Amino acid sequence: GVALGAWPHVAMEASELWVGFVGAGRMAGGLVRGLLQAGKVPASNILASAPSDKNLDAWRELGCRTTHCNLEVVHRSTLVFLATKPHILPGVLEEIRPAVGSHHIVVSLVAGVTIQTLQRLLPPWTKVLRIMPNLPCVVQAGAMVFSRGSNAGDEEATLLKSLLSSCGLCEEVPESYIDIHTGLSGSGVAYVYLFAEALAEGAVKMGMPGALASRIAAQTLLGAAKMLLETGEHPAKLRGDVCTPGGTTIYALHQLEKGALRATVMDAVEAATNRACDMAKD
Amino acid sequence: MSVGFIGAGQLAFALARGFTAAGILAAHKITASSPDTDLPTVSGLRKIGVNFTVSNKDTVKNSDVLFLAVKPPIIPFILEEVGPDIEARHIVVSCAAGVTISSIEKKLSTFCPTPKVIRCMTNTPVIVREGATVYATGTHADVEDGKLLEQLMASVGFCTEVEEDLIDAVTGLSGSGPAYAFTALDALADGGVKMGLPRRLAVRLGAQALLGAAKMLLESEQHPGQLKDNVCSPGGATIHALHFLESGGFRSLLINAVEASCIRTRELQHLADQEEISPAAIKKTLLDKVKLESPSLSVASVNKVSLFTNKSKKN
Repeated sequence: GVALGAWPHVAMEASELWVGFVGAGRMAGGLVRGLLQAGKVPASNILASAPSDKNLDAWRELGCRTTHCNLEVVHRSTLVFLATKPHILPGVLEEIRPAVGSHHIVVSLVAGVTIQTLQRLLPPWTKVLRIMPNLPCVVQAGAMVFSRGSNAGDEEATLLKSLLSSCGLCEEVPESYIDIHTGLSGSGVAYVYLFAEALAEGAVKMGMPGALASRIAAQTLLGAAKMLLETGEHPAKLRGDVCTPGGTTIYALHQLEKGALRATVMDAVEAATNRACDMAKD
Repeated sequence: MSVGFIGAGQLAFALARGFTAAGILAAHKITASSPDTDLPTVSGLRKIGVNFTVSNKDTVKNSDVLFLAVKPPIIPFILEEVGPDIEARHIVVSCAAGVTISSIEKKLSTFCPTPKVIRCMTNTPVIVREGATVYATGTHADVEDGKLLEQLMASVGFCTEVEEDLIDAVTGLSGSGPAYAFTALDALADGGVKMGLPRRLAVRLGAQALLGAAKMLLESEQHPGQLKDNVCSPGGATIHALHFLESGGFRSLLINAVEASCIRTRELQHLADQEEISPAAIKKTLLDKVKLESPSLSVASVNKVSLFTNKSKKN
């Protein structure tokens, strides 16, 4: 049967929202830090469950409530984030299914688990959404895309977007884009770290101390990204603007083109996207 | 105004054809000369109605604007030969890759105190009036002389003035550029044929695609990167194809090409400056004919011709 929470009727106002996390790993931690930073939901309104205390200590330090009981999270929350590892999720869904009601909004962060699968394993009236965040949500500079299931409507989409926009870019997309987002931005963060490392290494080779080089590399990426986002200009145009004729930049870019950097990056995005698709099929 | 071409090869033909088609010059106001009458372009020039002669001196006498349309190693011979006939009124336009204004001025100054020299880099599509031309004016060429040349060249395509030190780069880009395009078009047509198109149609479509793209770019405010994006629908055919181009280092190949052409141009100029022009660089028939018409050139001195005066060594 349907179990309603013992708690008072929950409004859709973010400040009165009771938010739960099933699973308290890195991704969930990123989201909750973003939520808290933005002050949208008080820590005391957040309840997280995990099998061990390993991850939960950090949540308590943030002021959130914790438990080892997944059912308790569902009972006490309206907005429930599913943040388990993919192979754990089916078991968890079976466990919490009896407690899921029509008032719940279930948002899955679980990589590779489709809305179809989620809806199959949850009661038919459940409002389901699927989200793919990325790690920089932790510093409120994340990139997230989400899709809605059959019962999720504009209200749920708007709520999610308003809550998570505090963590960075948050856009609704067709579900087919989610794997692409993984390849582009979920994994993409790692590509950037690799690039930053290589930049710094180049500078070290030319004689700059490593720590300084790393900080400058990071700031360079940050600044360039900021200009991209704020000017709205095409990256090719911004690139051209930096290239004085016969100058240092064009010489360097030539090296990058010789190394077919563009194609390699495209290969990377493609590989990660395909892997995400394959994993979803498993 | 009358125009003369020393040299009756591809460049002279292309320019003469372009000028007459543009209507900026009547064919009978054009003279072209070459010792070699067997060149296919010679008959082409005659067909347009250009006055053809084997005497370079005649060309100089009958011209106000004199194009030196010979290969770079031939330039010193030509200057030696026609130098005495160059007057202050002449505008000498050199189209030879890598040959500097100062080298030409030095050579001519033994004959004429203030020779008007303009250095120009154009390309073969002047023949269809879509040339890309840049020019730099020499010491004694006035603004009006530059503008006159610009008017002429603008009738056959794009023309703008630049600093001389950029001309080698222009050579690498738009001077050689049509060759890169022809290579690309040949390959594109091959691709079409591989996928089932008849050759003629493939060539026609490939050429039109490049023509259209170039026209879009020239008429658009947008960056080529943006125009590219506009063609690439997500997950579509074009982006798949572009990935292949990127994997092959397409962009770097083009950058390499422009760089190589520019560097080679500078190399040739450097070789010329060193006054070491091997006779092998000059076709034998041409050499014989030059010797015939220039009794002032001794057989001995012909083996090592300097771009500078015969009397003094390079400073």
